[in-house]
Amino acid sequence: MATAARPVMAAPPRQGAAAGLQVSRLVVAHIWVAIAAFAVACLLGVWQMWARSPIPAPAHTAANYFRSVTLHGVSMAFVLTTFFIMGFGYYVAETSLKRPLPSLRLAWGAFALGILGTLMAALSVISGNASVLYTFYPPLTATPWFYNGLVLVVVASWIWCILMIVAMRDWRRANNGRPVPLVMYATVANAVMWLWTTLGVAAELLFQVIPAAFGLNGMVDVGLSRTLFSWTLHAIVYFWLFPSYIAFYTMFPRAAGGRLYSDTMGRLAFILFLLYSLPVGLHHLMMDPEHSNGFKFLQTFLTALVSVPTLLTIFTITASAEIAGRMRGGKGLFGWIAALPWDRPMVLATGLAFVMLFWGGGGGLINMSYGMNSMVHNTSWVTAHFHLIFGGTVVIMYQAICYAIWPSLTGRDFAHTRPLRLQLWLWFIGMMVMTLPWHFLGLQGQWRRVAAFDYSNPLIHSWGPWVIVSLVGGIVLAVSALLFVFNLAMLHRSGIAGAPATIEYAEAVHPPEHVPASLNGFGLWNILVALMLLLAYGWPIAQFFVDPPPQAMVHKLSS
Amino acid sequence: MAEPSYPAGAHDYASDAEELNRLEAAMDETPRGAVIVSAVAVGLLLFGWLFLYFFVFLPRGTVG
Amino acid sequence: MAINESAILKSELRWAMIVGGIVAIILIAILYAAIAMHVNPPSNREYVDPKTLHLSAEFTEANLGTRVDPDGHIVARVIATQFEFVPNCFVLPANRDVTIRLTSPDVIHGILVTGTNVNTMVVPGYVAQVHTMFTKTGDLLMPCHEFCGLGHSQMLATVRVVPPGQFHPGPDGRIACGDRR
Repeated sequence: MATAARPVMAAPPRQGAAAGLQVSRLVVAHIWVAIAAFAVACLLGVWQMWARSPIPAPAHTAANYFRSVTLHGVSMAFVLTTFFIMGFGYYVAETSLKRPLPSLRLAWGAFALGILGTLMAALSVISGNASVLYTFYPPLTATPWFYNGLVLVVVASWIWCILMIVAMRDWRRANNGRPVPLVMYATVANAVMWLWTTLGVAAELLFQVIPAAFGLNGMVDVGLSRTLFSWTLHAIVYFWLFPSYIAFYTMFPRAAGGRLYSDTMGRLAFILFLLYSLPVGLHHLMMDPEHSNGFKFLQTFLTALVSVPTLLTIFTITASAEIAGRMRGGKGLFGWIAALPWDRPMVLATGLAFVMLFWGGGGGLINMSYGMNSMVHNTSWVTAHFHLIFGGTVVIMYQAICYAIWPSLTGRDFAHTRPLRLQLWLWFIGMMVMTLPWHFLGLQGQWRRVAAFDYSNPLIHSWGPWVIVSLVGGIVLAVSALLFVFNLAMLHRSGIAGAPATIEYAEAVHPPEHVPASLNGFGLWNILVALMLLLAYGWPIAQFFVDPPPQAMVHKLSS
Repeated sequence: MAEPSYPAGAHDYASDAEELNRLEAAMDETPRGAVIVSAVAVGLLLFGWLFLYFFVFLPRGTVG
Repeated sequence: MAINESAILKSELRWAMIVGGIVAIILIAILYAAIAMHVNPPSNREYVDPKTLHLSAEFTEANLGTRVDPDGHIVARVIATQFEFVPNCFVLPANRDVTIRLTSPDVIHGILVTGTNVNTMVVPGYVAQVHTMFTKTGDLLMPCHEFCGLGHSQMLATVRVVPPGQFHPGPDGRIACGDRR
């Protein structure tokens, strides 16, 4: 096609606040739960960093510290993410497919289940009977209430997955041959990937950890549990990352006033994530004795492949930014950069996200590099990496998404964008200041999950000033988190009335009228996922049954 | 007059025709700038990786 | 640059090749380090029963610490347990091939030695093993780096790397931190 004309379709009718989305209360409920968990976790994080620093902190005991780390990790990694992703998914389903959810009642049921599970897990941790961190490695074993709570959250998310898949299937039946809107295609790709992802931890919990927690097993095969968990542990970060990349492809180009460089590349990127985020978990076990160098290297190779969709995204989104900048009058090789509307929160957030992606992604390239992992494993370098890439790149986009969709959910628009941009800048600055010292300290050997450092040791003493710098970064983050809550809460009461009850997603330079079946569904990709999982995890798991190692004794925690 | 925080439904251009004109002009140069920015970014990443590889990792000795 | 979709995809393909090249460089460097420079992850799949460590020939208390084995290998044997290393200080010579062997009778631990590539998980049921050669002398920190319970923060050992001239094991091949020779 030589031209890039918009397809001839009626623009969605403007709706007043009264008409509204069917899912608005559902979405708002999910996202407030996510934000509540996020805000509490941020405050706990500040206390944790204070405790680790040379400055005396209140209530500083090992029991409190590990209770806090567990709650911080579970809130950020399981509650913030799952609830946000579910809420955003429902929003995308209705606004992009322009039809109601397959079952609103089931969605609310899943929400209730998720709340129940969250409360069970959170209360267990607060009671001190579940200080096993969000990675909960056996044979350390918490109260069964903790694990059962997490199981309920996962089951709730499975209901969401089914609703997303059915929504897309129903739309395809009603729109024979037309391409599923990219934003929904990517959302369903995430749902499919999540179903595959959770199999590992589900098996670990169902067959090993929960029986041990109930006292039904006295022994547990620790290598097997770590391996099953690793199946979930890497892919889950892509579950978290999908909404942010969805915003890069389907919201940023529109916010910048331009077009998405290529719809096809968007589909390919999400498919590559679906394929390669799963068979790579062994890179979390690079330093473990239970796996051979052969499988560790195979999964290093596959991890290198999962870096490809990110590297492709960098180009596609930068090209989309270039289009927008040039459309706004930017000239020359780089004039488009300054010409972008940086005063729009989505545009600002994307730029800041990319800076953090550079640092966080770079750290990740080191982590995955086979023998090089020994330089960084279980040091603060790893902590830096995932705070920067998840806490930074991914979460700043969650914040921008909230700002983008809140007007259509509340019927009110923000009167001023300055507080939104201030919050985003504070998040970025805080994250960089907090995490950059951790890279340096990690290389010096500062290790993870320490409640208190012995600053009388000369090497540890030299780390003190940098730990305080990180603490300052953390405080800035906490301020940003509170401002974020405030910005969203304000819109429920004030703001400019009459915002449209929907959002317009970005259009591609060439909006596709037809895409190949492989880019409009997941049948082929599911087969490839299964094959790759068999290749990458088949023997690493089977070995525990063919040649069983001695088991470890279950170690129940008591408060 | 406050500008909407996110152009949901708001368009930056007076008409579809104007948007298309600007798009076609923009596509003349795209993705030249993006290639350079992306290549520099990814090049710096590779440089950083190689720096750590040669100056921190290898000097720390053999393990296995 | 043209506007049509095939030109767009072609530019993406060209970029993908650049990306592929960079990934290839990294993988080749990794392979080189593994094969030519002998830097590999610690992947010693060797079983030991955590319940009977104290009865095993190798990890009885009397056999822990550094010993020059009859075949000349310098081996440090350490038990990682809640919440200490036994012994919590051991001596190794610089500029010699050495081996560190660790196991746990209880939960998962892990170690690193500051300033080196020595890093391994210590998983009950397995003997974790790292071969290395220290190039710098001094007292290095060896913390437990994997969360193992409330006492995790205090779990720390010292690796005393001495010049080869000062590494004098006794007649039984053993040498400990407190020895004066």
